[in-house]
Amino acid sequence: MKRSRFIAASVAMIATTGLLLSGCSAGAADTGEKQLTFMFRGGEDEKAAYTTAIKAFEKANDVNVKIIVTTADDYSTKLKAAIAGKQIPDVFYIGPGDVQAYVNNGVILDITDYVENSDTLDLDNIWDYGVDSYRFDGSLVGQGAIYALPKDVGPFSFGYNKTMFEAAGIPLPDPDVPLTLQEFVDISKQLTVDLDGDGELDQWGTGLNVQWSLQSFAWSNGAEFLNKDRTKVTVDTPEFAEALQWFADLSNVEHITPSTAQAQTLDTYQRWMSGQIAFFPVGPWDVSTYADLDFDYDLIPYPAGSTGESATWTGTLGIAVGSTTKYPELSEKLVEYLSADATAQQTLVDAGVQIPNLKDTADTWVADSTTQPANKQEFLDIVNGYGRALPANNTYNAEWYDELFTNIQPVLDGTQTAADYLKEAQPKMQAFLDDANAQAGIG
Amino acid sequence: MSTEVLRTKPRRSRLHRREHQVALAFIAIPLIGFLLFTLYPLLYSVYASFTSWNGLAAPTFNGIDNYIKMWNDPYFLKAMWNTLFMMIGIPIGLVLSMALALGLNRKMRGTTFFRTVYYIPVISSIAAIAILWQWAYNGDFGLVNQVLDLVGIQGPNWLADKDTVKPALIIMATWKGLGYSMLLYLAALQSVPRYLYEAASLDGAGTWDQFRNITLPMVRPVTFFLVVTSIIGGSQIFIEINIMTPLGGPEFSSASIVWYIWRQAFNNLHMGYASAMSIVLGLIIFVITVIQFRLNRRNQFSID
Repeated sequence: MKRSRFIAASVAMIATTGLLLSGCSAGAADTGEKQLTFMFRGGEDEKAAYTTAIKAFEKANDVNVKIIVTTADDYSTKLKAAIAGKQIPDVFYIGPGDVQAYVNNGVILDITDYVENSDTLDLDNIWDYGVDSYRFDGSLVGQGAIYALPKDVGPFSFGYNKTMFEAAGIPLPDPDVPLTLQEFVDISKQLTVDLDGDGELDQWGTGLNVQWSLQSFAWSNGAEFLNKDRTKVTVDTPEFAEALQWFADLSNVEHITPSTAQAQTLDTYQRWMSGQIAFFPVGPWDVSTYADLDFDYDLIPYPAGSTGESATWTGTLGIAVGSTTKYPELSEKLVEYLSADATAQQTLVDAGVQIPNLKDTADTWVADSTTQPANKQEFLDIVNGYGRALPANNTYNAEWYDELFTNIQPVLDGTQTAADYLKEAQPKMQAFLDDANAQAGIG
Repeated sequence: MSTEVLRTKPRRSRLHRREHQVALAFIAIPLIGFLLFTLYPLLYSVYASFTSWNGLAAPTFNGIDNYIKMWNDPYFLKAMWNTLFMMIGIPIGLVLSMALALGLNRKMRGTTFFRTVYYIPVISSIAAIAILWQWAYNGDFGLVNQVLDLVGIQGPNWLADKDTVKPALIIMATWKGLGYSMLLYLAALQSVPRYLYEAASLDGAGTWDQFRNITLPMVRPVTFFLVVTSIIGGSQIFIEINIMTPLGGPEFSSASIVWYIWRQAFNNLHMGYASAMSIVLGLIIFVITVIQFRLNRRNQFSID
């Protein structure tokens, strides 16, 4: 009797601890009702938009969706901890860079069958780039079975301060023909001026962050980060060096950016928004913020290097189904809903955080002349045409790519030439890439 | 006689036994918590450090490969060095907080106000503070450089220059920790018996002699505590690094060891390698702490 009481007490204690444990894990509570967990990242706006959208899904499908939301910074750590702890959420965001590792390790489900046989989903109405980013045939990302649908696509476009051009009497750039690098520098020089005559510059041509802008100039100059089958790092070419050198010279030689070594994003982002910078990148996620600017801006293609063709990247985030889900079909349905439901999409587009995933919704959105920027078509041109994946998106991990930027500062400061630096960086990057490919079982 | 009986008879009252059992059950909670959340992960990471593990699939044993890799990894050594270098802030912080505590220990108007002011950074979120200082250090129009500009100094772009990024982080960390050390020193100062000072001044000891021979030895336990905890905390510096210099700073100059471990584990899918580095870091901290306790034992003294 005494003993049983002791055992009862212990069991109660252990049960309490157990409850605490299961509280941390996803979907442990089994109340008989169907429950899905959806893990994503985002700010308050996104959280609110998704909460509303998901309410409708819950009602229509008689299911309870448990939302786990984190900040962008925490997301990868928390998700990977959950995966390592065998608590894979039913539905969650993945980046294209994760596809290879997640598929190889059985973390996410192949949803090709569902997607191709769905009556409610029209694949042709979603951006190819968005879907292709989550295809994987076992060796290359970009082709083969579908492992996720895009949550969004993020064409990284280029903008200019229209008001500034008009005030300076400079003809507006053609929205369809890219400026040459020389034209870009020439215009920037005209716009880098001391407006109030106090001897200090207060307006600049541009101010770009190397990590997000170098790709455009390298690609349009005919350079590549990797060879076609992603086994060789190709940054040690003359075309690449030329592009990087040109980029560094914008500050050190041409002096068309805020003072040397100060090209931190924060600086120039703030300066662009206060109307002190002529040319600056514009992502769809910026559009709602830029709506409050005191000046008019519009989109143009990125200035083009030796190929004469503009180039830039398109970001994307996907929504995948965890391999351990109890309800694969319901999970796939949720993925489809979040990615391609017309009403859900409209909610997100109205919140100004992304361009529409659906081509027909996008056409209406582009045609709407009441919202800025006027040349929204540029965003779509990038997604449909010249936008590419970020170099590390299709490799097993990004270590080789991060290496390029780790020691780049001396080039930006003008104390090392781009050619010298790239020659030094290539073998180190190659070693990391070899390691990644070995882990992925290719190369 | 009665105590004798109790000792020979192990039997206790029913009430006693019941209490004993309930007590055990209560102890079970933290014990199970410890086993599950501390001991098991610890042992698992020791195991993981001998495996090639990407954190997604099952680990595969690869012997001491991770430990060999570490030795040849320039970034690991650099991150270790950076972490060590940033500990310069610890002695600086101790001296400053001691000085502050001495100042605020006087009977003056406004001391409560200042004690509160210096304590505010301690209770603020480190993430919020990191973001604020990131703005302050902005090379273009940050607060720090604007102040320097007033006295005619052209400030550097603190966080983008490999020579200034570590000092910048040290200044911030010292500032943040000041209030905490100061408060402990204040408490210690107030527990120094007044008669020691009275006796010393009767013997003709000046202020400096009193400070050196009475105050410093009497607050030594607090100094010891602060040194040990700051070194442990300092070797685990992470959040401010990750927020203020997301790529580890120019040329990896501000990457701390915990930041590098985190990056390898969660960004580069090298969980096994990260575990090995954690084990090494843990051992280093353990050894340093043991040495500190050893050294401190010699310095123990008491007054009757």
